[in-house]
Amino acid sequence: MTHAATGHDAATGHSVAAVATHTAGHHAQARRPGTLTVLRWEVAKLAAHARARYLLLGCLIVPPVIVAVFTGQQPPSDTIYGRHIHESGLADALLILAFAHQWLLPLLASLVAGDIFANEDGHGTWKTILTRSASRGQIFAAKTLTAAGFNLLALLVLAASTIAGSLLIVGTQPLPGLSGQLIPAGTALPLVAAAWATAIAPLLGFTALALLLSVLSRNPTAGVAAPVVLGFAMQLLSTLGGLDLARRLLLTTGFEAWHGLFTQQRFTGPIVQAGAVAAGWAVGCLLIGYLALRRRDVIGG
Amino acid sequence: MHRTTLPIRRLGPTTAVLAVVAAVFAATAGHGGEDITKPRLEHAIAPTFANLYVQRSTILGKTGVTVASIDAHAACDRGGPKVPDTGPGANWICMITFTDDAGQRQEGKFEVTANADATYVAGGPSKLVGLATITDTRGVDVTNPAFEFDGAFDPDS
Repeated sequence: MTHAATGHDAATGHSVAAVATHTAGHHAQARRPGTLTVLRWEVAKLAAHARARYLLLGCLIVPPVIVAVFTGQQPPSDTIYGRHIHESGLADALLILAFAHQWLLPLLASLVAGDIFANEDGHGTWKTILTRSASRGQIFAAKTLTAAGFNLLALLVLAASTIAGSLLIVGTQPLPGLSGQLIPAGTALPLVAAAWATAIAPLLGFTALALLLSVLSRNPTAGVAAPVVLGFAMQLLSTLGGLDLARRLLLTTGFEAWHGLFTQQRFTGPIVQAGAVAAGWAVGCLLIGYLALRRRDVIGG
Repeated sequence: MHRTTLPIRRLGPTTAVLAVVAAVFAATAGHGGEDITKPRLEHAIAPTFANLYVQRSTILGKTGVTVASIDAHAACDRGGPKVPDTGPGANWICMITFTDDAGQRQEGKFEVTANADATYVAGGPSKLVGLATITDTRGVDVTNPAFEFDGAFDPDS
């Protein structure tokens, strides 16, 4: 027994010494974890977050409940497609999309992204993760990819649940178009899915904005709330006349680009513009966010 | 141990970012042309109304009504002669001339709310298009598609 324990200790000591020699030698770089490893940490941390799980669960459960509640109500004709909610389930899916633009999608984008950097400040854990020998660039990339991936997953769940719920509860009648034409359900279903897909670009733009505010504010509450408030402000500005080109540069304008899919002569110019605008916002926000994270002093905590 | 220091030190970059965004916004506001214009609205609302009038005629069981036979044309104006005919607002009026299901040429005044997102809501005169609900050939009350309707147009057309 004693002999075995001694042997084990000796073996361990030997292997530690070997690793130490190895590290001190020419392979020091090889011990730095890859960005993929850092990404795996971030995904694991997010998966352990109760908020993330409840958010996905909410995206799955809430839309069919809303559609079911609508079936007994007077149509909300002040929102586009509101007046048609009893005529076709596809109209319900578009009404919920139009409604989600107003604050739900900016909120969805920022609930995880606005928290992902600032929670390290909130928990005082920057020192811990920065001493894990991963570079700040790797951590920034991993957190960005985790937030963007999660938000895309949440949008996918929300869209699938909305469309499936609407079709099951209200039905697959032809969809009234935005030029007075009736669109057969077979043609309309892919268009409705495409309309939900046009939310990807502005959603990722809002994700980048939330990541930036998460880095700059160092406060999880501010990181989540500020993008939602900015989204509201942009929404409010976009209802004004006379903005012209400036209106197209707002992130929220991309959320309404789907209208062109439902006119008799389809137009996709706004979808292309929304993609370019969201890309501009995303690149700007991520660049500033990365520089801010790289330059900052991590002390205390 | 200053985990939750007030963000006074951090206001620097945040303010700079907001200032740049505000400057770009101010520089582009009012340039590039108005999205909501009289020709765009007119070209959108006339065929839309024609499509909906055909649907209404089908519900009422009146045959032989087509988009071509209706031959709808629109003339839109915003807020009277003193207001320029561009921009979003609830004060658009579109006069639509069309041939009704009895073959008579009619002119109806439609109240239109044009939204900044290049969509609009139009309400027709019930004297010409009927009430909000109409009775179909089987005696069932259904929504009158031409009574009030949403539409959209291309802001780059």
